[in-house]
Amino acid sequence: MSTIKLQNLTKRFGDLVAVNNVDLNIDAGEVLCLLGPSGCGKTTTLRMVAGLEMATEGDVFLADKRVNDLTPSQRNVAMAFQFYALYPSLNVAENLAYPLHADRLSQADIDGKVREVARVLDLTDVLNRLPGRLAEGEKQRVSVGRAIIRDPNCFLFDEPLSRLDVQLREQMRGQIKEVLSGLNKATVIVTHDQLEALTMADRIAVMRDGYIEQVGTPHEVFATPSNLFVAGFIGTPQMNLMAGTFAGQRSGSLRLKTGEQEIAIPSSVPHAGLTEGGRVTIGIRPRSTELASEAGDDTLTATVDLIEPMGAETLLHLSDGDRDLRVVVDQDVMVRVGEQLHVRPRASQTHLFDQNDARIA
Amino acid sequence: MAWQSKQREIGTAGWGWAIFAGIIAFIYFFPVLWIILTAFKTNADILAVPPKFFFTPTLENFVSVFSRSYIKGQAAVDTGFDRFFFNSIFIAGTSVLLALVIGTLAAYGFSRYPLPGNDTYLFIILTTRMLPPIIVIIPIFIMFRIAGLSGTYPGIILLYTAFNLPFTIWMMKSFFDELSPDVEDAARLDGSSEKRLFFKVCFPQIIAGLAATAVFGLILTWNEFIFALLLTGVETRTVPVAMAQTIGGDIGVRWGLLAAIETLFLIPVIIVVFVLQKHLLRGVTFGTIKR
Amino acid sequence: MTAVTSDATGTPRWLTPSPRNWRLALLIAVVAIPGSIWLAPGNVAFWISFVAVSAVTLAVTINAWGRYPGPLLVAPAIALLFVMNIFPLMWSFGLSFFRFRVNRQAPPRFAGLDNYEKILTDPTVWDRLQTTALVVVFTVAIQMIVGFLLALLFEKEFPGRRVLLMLVLTPMMLSFVAVGAFFRFYYEPTFGLLSQAVRLFTGEPFILLKTPAGALAGIVFADAWMWSPFVMLLVLAGLVSVPKYLYEAAEIDRASWWRKFRTITFPYIRSLLLLALLFRTIEAFKLFDIVFLITDGGPGSSTETIAVYVFRVSFQFFRTSQSSALAYFILFIVIVLTNLYLYFARQRSQEA
Repeated sequence: MSTIKLQNLTKRFGDLVAVNNVDLNIDAGEVLCLLGPSGCGKTTTLRMVAGLEMATEGDVFLADKRVNDLTPSQRNVAMAFQFYALYPSLNVAENLAYPLHADRLSQADIDGKVREVARVLDLTDVLNRLPGRLAEGEKQRVSVGRAIIRDPNCFLFDEPLSRLDVQLREQMRGQIKEVLSGLNKATVIVTHDQLEALTMADRIAVMRDGYIEQVGTPHEVFATPSNLFVAGFIGTPQMNLMAGTFAGQRSGSLRLKTGEQEIAIPSSVPHAGLTEGGRVTIGIRPRSTELASEAGDDTLTATVDLIEPMGAETLLHLSDGDRDLRVVVDQDVMVRVGEQLHVRPRASQTHLFDQNDARIA
Repeated sequence: MAWQSKQREIGTAGWGWAIFAGIIAFIYFFPVLWIILTAFKTNADILAVPPKFFFTPTLENFVSVFSRSYIKGQAAVDTGFDRFFFNSIFIAGTSVLLALVIGTLAAYGFSRYPLPGNDTYLFIILTTRMLPPIIVIIPIFIMFRIAGLSGTYPGIILLYTAFNLPFTIWMMKSFFDELSPDVEDAARLDGSSEKRLFFKVCFPQIIAGLAATAVFGLILTWNEFIFALLLTGVETRTVPVAMAQTIGGDIGVRWGLLAAIETLFLIPVIIVVFVLQKHLLRGVTFGTIKR
Repeated sequence: MTAVTSDATGTPRWLTPSPRNWRLALLIAVVAIPGSIWLAPGNVAFWISFVAVSAVTLAVTINAWGRYPGPLLVAPAIALLFVMNIFPLMWSFGLSFFRFRVNRQAPPRFAGLDNYEKILTDPTVWDRLQTTALVVVFTVAIQMIVGFLLALLFEKEFPGRRVLLMLVLTPMMLSFVAVGAFFRFYYEPTFGLLSQAVRLFTGEPFILLKTPAGALAGIVFADAWMWSPFVMLLVLAGLVSVPKYLYEAAEIDRASWWRKFRTITFPYIRSLLLLALLFRTIEAFKLFDIVFLITDGGPGSSTETIAVYVFRVSFQFFRTSQSSALAYFILFIVIVLTNLYLYFARQRSQEA
């Protein structure tokens, strides 16, 4: 079985802890995205799986076998590099065939596999070209092709799409997902682009400062972020995070105070941990709101500062003095700068975090 | 942990490799080391059979480099290397300085205001440096005799300036070529004159390169032998010529003296090699290869 | 600068006295210099010529100031190189067609291509060229191999690398005279290190420079020792320019050491190896100082390289014009090699 298991994986560079006690299980056929801002340790984690970096502590298991002592070539992993790492003096066909030489296949077998991969990735026309003469998208496909041409323990992708332009990126996301779904291998994709992670991954591991903050399906990390960092990191435009205090519970709704305003959020969940006057952070996604015609118990009031049309939708920047609030409305909603709006958060899509930044509701 | 030693990151090696490299480097450096050891030996120790690795060091060789004479038997023999040291330093210093001024201007010209046939000029300039000195020296020798320049400081300084020019031009041009044109464009848009551009924008950026060029020029000039052999006189003799003549002398070669001279020269050379490792490749290929 | 007449007075512009009128200055100089050489005594003529040349230079400079910065910047360098290199070369080219000895009073006599005919049919010249070729082939081959191996040694990062590199690079910075002198010292039959080392095994003192082959080996060894670091430096530059991720990818792709070397490393150092080869060939071709100091061409003339031979012909036999012809022959070879070298150097810098 092609699985990856990481146990207490830790990497220290001198005093700096790049990766801190990471535990992860990736099943055969599963695609896991390591997502996080730059410098969060995601690439280091990937390189430790590949064997390009030595773990300071902890273990890496590939196909249930501890591989800490093995060199990258002994681990039998396939990896696509961020800068593609195409061998500049070899043409595309030779680049694709490169990983097969260790398997001691016959030339006919090699040719067959190269042709098959070239067909899948639409590289047949450029097989005789040198990497220097390829377009960026073609280079990227060659690097993917070089990874999928063999039968490794697992696939590793280091920021595979970061050097492509937006259009190509969208196209390749689908293509990679399609190719991977046909192979029953554990796959790790490192990315800083949440859209990439949300679209390609079966599960996402969000990393920050060497820690894994949350592991879950794309839906889980989006709908129920386990802490403030994940809430703020996932989703565009960014979630509105407002400091407030808990003002008590009344008739099935929580009353929260933020700045001068008070808002009621319907909730059936008991909140044992919350005491009156306790500090909370309220999280409201800009898209999980609607405009109310008049002020109510469950609305916030703010004035329009800035209007950013984004095509199908319009992003409004509102403020009520010292608090900013971003709201996405339909393109046909007409507002003017300076206008006062009443915003009603959707009841089930409002998030609450306690003073330790952990999720409450 | 134990397994960490089994594998290491690509592109690095450990102490085992360092020790191996150390042994090879020591063997390679041994002839130089022996020169240094010889410089601290007495004449008897130098000529000892078998060779002495351990001995009482003496500074007498260094003293005799700068004392004007020493007594051998009855006769006073003039060693007087202080004179040759002065000559070498004076001639090399002046000519390198001149070449640096003329060459830097030319390099800036070649780099920023390409003439028609720029590459041809540069090729001819480099060729004059690649030529065996022996083939230009015949007419220069005649020319100097007619002009009365042979054996004089101006003559040899002029010649060494020309000798250093190709090297300086190619080196400095390679440094100028590397500067980002954006900075100059920005300065030009801000209304800098061409003169200001050179002195305020380009020049500060190439001071390190200038220093490297000067140092390599000094070493090359100091080491030069054949021009000096044929075109310096008794008064203007440089160290290499004096050394060569010591070997040919009839009083028996004073190896200790030669070793002391070479050791004195080694100190700056080793410092230069250490400090300028970054520019060394460029220096030894006359600026034709940058990296 | 095309208009020749312009003034209201009708005087041609090139006759108007002005500090920037370089045409007038040139005209005066062209008249004054030969005139003074002809009419005035030597030292007066010299000073008149000097002033005239200075005036022309000044006029040209003032004229070009601010308008032709390129030519103005390179002019001093070109002028100096012309006086000290190009002009002497042209002079010796002229001399090569005459019969002339610098140690005789007799004026040069025209000889046509006699000198060239003489050197090209002279078996001694061909013999010296053979010796040179032998030295070049051996020393360059050894330098390439040793330099390459040294580069592999220093390719990786390890503790103390910089200091050890410094030790290995030092020989290259020594003077030929020092290297020549000290290898002569090491080859010395009684107290030289080599002889003593050999005596440990054979019991006999060993005189390396006694036989032609030994003398050649002695020269080649000293030169190769001195210049292998040069090759190392070039190869090392190629080795460190290989992006690390290529090695990582090859490691993931389970490539063998040889395959990695052949497909990744070698393409990066190929051009530098070629440059090193050409550069060292040019330099070894002019080998003079080391031979002069270690063997002085001996025993007999068995190690006399072409550069040493030219030196002898011009400064011991004083056959000036014949040596000029010989010099031109060498010049031709060096120009071809330099051209090749620059061609490949430029090609490499364009690829990078």
